[in-house]
Amino acid sequence: MSITIDQVSKLYHGVPVVNDVTLEIHTGEFFVLLGPSGSGKSTLLRALAGLSHIDHGRIALHGRDVTELPARERGVGLVFQHYALFRHMTVADNIEFALRVRRMGAAERRRRRQELLKYVDLAGYDDRYPSQLSGGQQQRVAVARALAHEPAVLLLDEPFGALDAKIRVELRETVRAVQRRLGMTTILVTHDQEEAFALADRIGVMQMGRLLELGSPEELYRHPATRFVARFLGAANMFLGEVSAQGLQLGSATVAPLRAAPQASSATEVILVVRPEDVEVAPAGIEPYGRSFAAGVVRALTFAGHQQHVSVQLDERSGVEPAVGDSQDGGAIMSVAAVRSAAEQSAAPLQVGAHVKLGARRVHALPTPISSFHLMASDAAVADALAASPLLSQLVRSMQARVIRHEDRGEQPERLAAGICVLRLDAGTPAAIVAATAQGARRLLCIPPGAPLPGRMLIPAGEAARRSDLLALLSSVMRHLPVEATAVTLQRAEAGRSEVIDAQRAIVDARADLRGAHGLDLRGDRFVGDLRAWLSEVAVQPDPALVVLGLPNDPAEIAASLSGDLAPLFAAGARTPVLLAINAAS
Amino acid sequence: MSSRGSTSSPGRPRQGQILPGFGLTMGYTVSYLSLIVLIPLAAAFLSAGRLPLGQWLHVLLAPRVLASFRLSITASLCAALINAVSGLLIAWVLTRYEFPGRRLLDALVDLPFALPTAVAGIALTTLYAPNGWLGRLLAPLGIQVAFTPLGVIVALTFIGLPFVVRTLQPVLADLDEDLERAAETLGAGPLMVFRTVIFPALLPALITGSALAFSRALGEYGSVIFIAGNIPLVSEVVPLVIMTKLEQFQYAEAAVVAVAMLLLSFAMMFVINAVQLALQRRYQARR
Repeated sequence: MSITIDQVSKLYHGVPVVNDVTLEIHTGEFFVLLGPSGSGKSTLLRALAGLSHIDHGRIALHGRDVTELPARERGVGLVFQHYALFRHMTVADNIEFALRVRRMGAAERRRRRQELLKYVDLAGYDDRYPSQLSGGQQQRVAVARALAHEPAVLLLDEPFGALDAKIRVELRETVRAVQRRLGMTTILVTHDQEEAFALADRIGVMQMGRLLELGSPEELYRHPATRFVARFLGAANMFLGEVSAQGLQLGSATVAPLRAAPQASSATEVILVVRPEDVEVAPAGIEPYGRSFAAGVVRALTFAGHQQHVSVQLDERSGVEPAVGDSQDGGAIMSVAAVRSAAEQSAAPLQVGAHVKLGARRVHALPTPISSFHLMASDAAVADALAASPLLSQLVRSMQARVIRHEDRGEQPERLAAGICVLRLDAGTPAAIVAATAQGARRLLCIPPGAPLPGRMLIPAGEAARRSDLLALLSSVMRHLPVEATAVTLQRAEAGRSEVIDAQRAIVDARADLRGAHGLDLRGDRFVGDLRAWLSEVAVQPDPALVVLGLPNDPAEIAASLSGDLAPLFAAGARTPVLLAINAAS
Repeated sequence: MSSRGSTSSPGRPRQGQILPGFGLTMGYTVSYLSLIVLIPLAAAFLSAGRLPLGQWLHVLLAPRVLASFRLSITASLCAALINAVSGLLIAWVLTRYEFPGRRLLDALVDLPFALPTAVAGIALTTLYAPNGWLGRLLAPLGIQVAFTPLGVIVALTFIGLPFVVRTLQPVLADLDEDLERAAETLGAGPLMVFRTVIFPALLPALITGSALAFSRALGEYGSVIFIAGNIPLVSEVVPLVIMTKLEQFQYAEAAVVAVAMLLLSFAMMFVINAVQLALQRRYQARR
């Protein structure tokens, strides 16, 4: 491994801007950190360079732990968005800067400089001053300068951000060519997915300080795990579908066979992603190649050179539901975006207002266990308060999930089973949980009135934390809350040596499982006492945490558990939001 | 010249200029500058011209005048150098660090500007007089500040400080911190970063600021005369010599000294601008 980043966190005013990022980058790899501004990608890059201090974790370059080393001893090359060339030095002096620091002889310096200038296509520019060069040329000099001391890794911080579109593409190619030629391990930070696709061997998508997903450009584009990544990497239609024994259901059609066995035995709600280029638009009279899943009317056609963008408004009775946004307004008008190639355009021309059938060439089901939030409240005021709570609104915003109100609707047990039921946490909550689970709810989020955004997440380590469904739920929430997550082992005060070791192992196992399945990392902590004692302490902490717990898969046991070990969470004075998940039937 | 040329043909607004009125504003500018600057300066030359040139040398080479020139120039130079160092430090602290009371400290820098110079002179004199707070402490060490050339330097340092700080501050604030980061990742230690990256970038502003402080010091009157003691041949500055000559109704002689000083100032300005231009050509070149 060229670069090893182990549980690196950086706090800013107590909020993690880089949150437990664990990542390994191979020798010679071109790795792109992609994310919106403020996602922590630049902070992570500067931490790697040694320019900003980290609050937790280790960083190793080529096996050498550099966590405590200052930037000048790390041997990295860094390229900045605004070039950061020394303006009072010539191109030659800029490039030779690192060599002069290392007291290299003049002849050797010149040889190296001329070689580097050739790499970046600027041979002969030695005696110019930076102000005599264009932006693109300046950035080429900056790249050459960063490579002069043969760094262990090359770090590029939005290097093309300040350049014109055309220059950007040229420079991109130069950088990729130099990187290949030198076999240089490289990390590039950008918010531009096109740039990421063009350069990356692997992409890591960051949001809110978390490394959300990791993979090759194609993997991430075709099989994203989260709504955020699906949207961030390109246009995406997202529908609420179902997994059943027949396959992936969209509306009334089966759009794809099942690739893996569904987790639950009953039908489960899932989010289906269809890229616009995978939507087939068939004019009336022609059946789409795949199974048609909906019919609609063409609302807009946009010319885009080699392509045509089509916006189709679905018929209300198509039975297809959008996966994102608020479904409050009932039969929301839903439109689907499609892209047609020139060949398709000439084979079957479209007009605005034409009736069409839609088919899906390729469908991807997101593995997230959270498709929507169901507000379970006795009256509208309580539902409003729940919807406005900082925790739920943060989750809804960052997950782009739907919120469905249940106060005025008939119960839909199969729907409750798929989403997360949101309840107000008070003395009556245990009874409400029992009632909701009896209706089919399997995941419940209980929010105390007036609760602020939790400062961290806690999950008791041990058998419960190793359950894949609970881990999936945990990881979904972790990806969308800018807080640290900690696995806590519970020990008896008189615990023997082997019990202590077991407890430690539980944390290591939970971390390994979560990393293996979801690429996320946990902190570890220890509490002496049983679950009830731990919860009594956690429930009244001044800075509330979000507690994640499993529930037994039996109505009687749920009631017993709620009035037993979990009782402190619902006692007077408790102010901790709780996320509960019922054990999958085994 | 092309009618659409972006460079100026006289009176045509530069490209992008919206407001008209070149004739009016230019006329005002010329007459204003003539009235306030050029005519008084010409008057100085005229009144100096009443003495024949042979007399000029006689006046200027008089030991008292010569000594005052020597003092004014060396003291101003010393003050400018002291201010260059301390002003750089103060500007650095004020722009680079965030600390309680920063704004207050920042405002304090302007005090030498705002304070009537006579007040500053009196305050410094009482402070440094042999029985003053500081003078009392320095006297046993054999250092006398008030009524010596040292006192002149102290006063000139005091009034010159804001020039250096205020010229450096915006340049420092604009200095891209990525430059230092870049130098650090390339392997430079803190001293080297300062020497090779920060200082060269600040040098033009530092020279300008110090030169301004020097010019101001050269002409300073109010704050100096109290602390200098004005002992002929020892602690008399040029402005005081001019003043003395005026009081003795030697108007022409006063004008000769004044003109000499004027020419000196012009020469200074010329040299500084030339240095500036050379530096700018090297660092910024054309944009």
